[in-house]
Amino acid sequence: MNLSDAGESRIRGYLFMLESSLRSFMKRELADDAVREVESHIRDRVREVEPMPNERDVLNRLLDDIGSPHRLARAYSAEMAVDEAVASGRIGSIARALLAVARTTAEGFAAALGLLLGYLMAFAFLIIAIMKPIFPDNVGVRWQNGEFRGAGWEVSIDPGTVVTHGWWLAFVSLIAGALLLRATHRGARRYLRRVSVRRQARAPLTTPDRAR
Amino acid sequence: MLPAMATTNDSWSEQLRRGGLELAILLAVAPGPRYGLEIIRHLQEFTDLVVTEGTIYPILGRLSRDGLLRAEWQAAAAHPRKYYTLTAAGGRRLKVMVDDWRAFASKIDRLMKAASKEAANESL
Repeated sequence: MNLSDAGESRIRGYLFMLESSLRSFMKRELADDAVREVESHIRDRVREVEPMPNERDVLNRLLDDIGSPHRLARAYSAEMAVDEAVASGRIGSIARALLAVARTTAEGFAAALGLLLGYLMAFAFLIIAIMKPIFPDNVGVRWQNGEFRGAGWEVSIDPGTVVTHGWWLAFVSLIAGALLLRATHRGARRYLRRVSVRRQARAPLTTPDRAR
Repeated sequence: MLPAMATTNDSWSEQLRRGGLELAILLAVAPGPRYGLEIIRHLQEFTDLVVTEGTIYPILGRLSRDGLLRAEWQAAAAHPRKYYTLTAAGGRRLKVMVDDWRAFASKIDRLMKAASKEAANESL
């Protein structure tokens, strides 16, 4: 069955959108392979509906059955998230993978929560260090009438408050933030690698003894 | 109350469907090589597990990466198709999953029968 130019263009547009979405998180060759497979599926479906009384309606229905390119890309993302995060180590990929793992098991949820807290604390430390050169008077250890009031970055300082040890605190925050970020990131990659290995290890499972 | 209950039921059905889909795909390719649309048609013949056709491909990709399926492009009359075959590891995994499924279903079945019996005795 030969499609009209408009029909071909509709399919090309669908595949282009799918390819663009997949390329944002997949390697080029994997994305190309996935698009090729979906195109093969579409061509088979088109052949099934010969003759085609209303090409536009049939194509719309057919593409609806397959799912929108974004929905399909999301499904690929969910399946590939862990492998991609382990391979690339990018924070964005790791965040997507942790989200995917958190949605599957209670252990995954707890691990993702712990790692998220680690990342947040690391970024909080780094923000303190970054803010010191921008707001030199607002970062440091705060004292009021000789009493300790807190430490870190404060947007507005109350009158009578003395801020000390600003650069020292910024330096410590920079070191603490960098170390915590590195530890959390390594922990996240190690955990995701374990998830990936565990998933693959399920393949050659032997039947354990079960209470029947 | 009712919408919340419907959402809970939808979520439960969705989880059940997702859990069963991997087993269903392995069963679909167990007799011999099949390509994506053939697998979908086979599943649609026996189940309503495939809601959106395209979403089966990412699962096939994962099962291939995990070594449970072997994927191979073959030139067909009209256009190339990607065929999936069960690997030895896939066969072992399928056996475990089938055993698990049967054991689980039989336990739930026994539980349902016991609940019905107790309910009948209560009403006497």
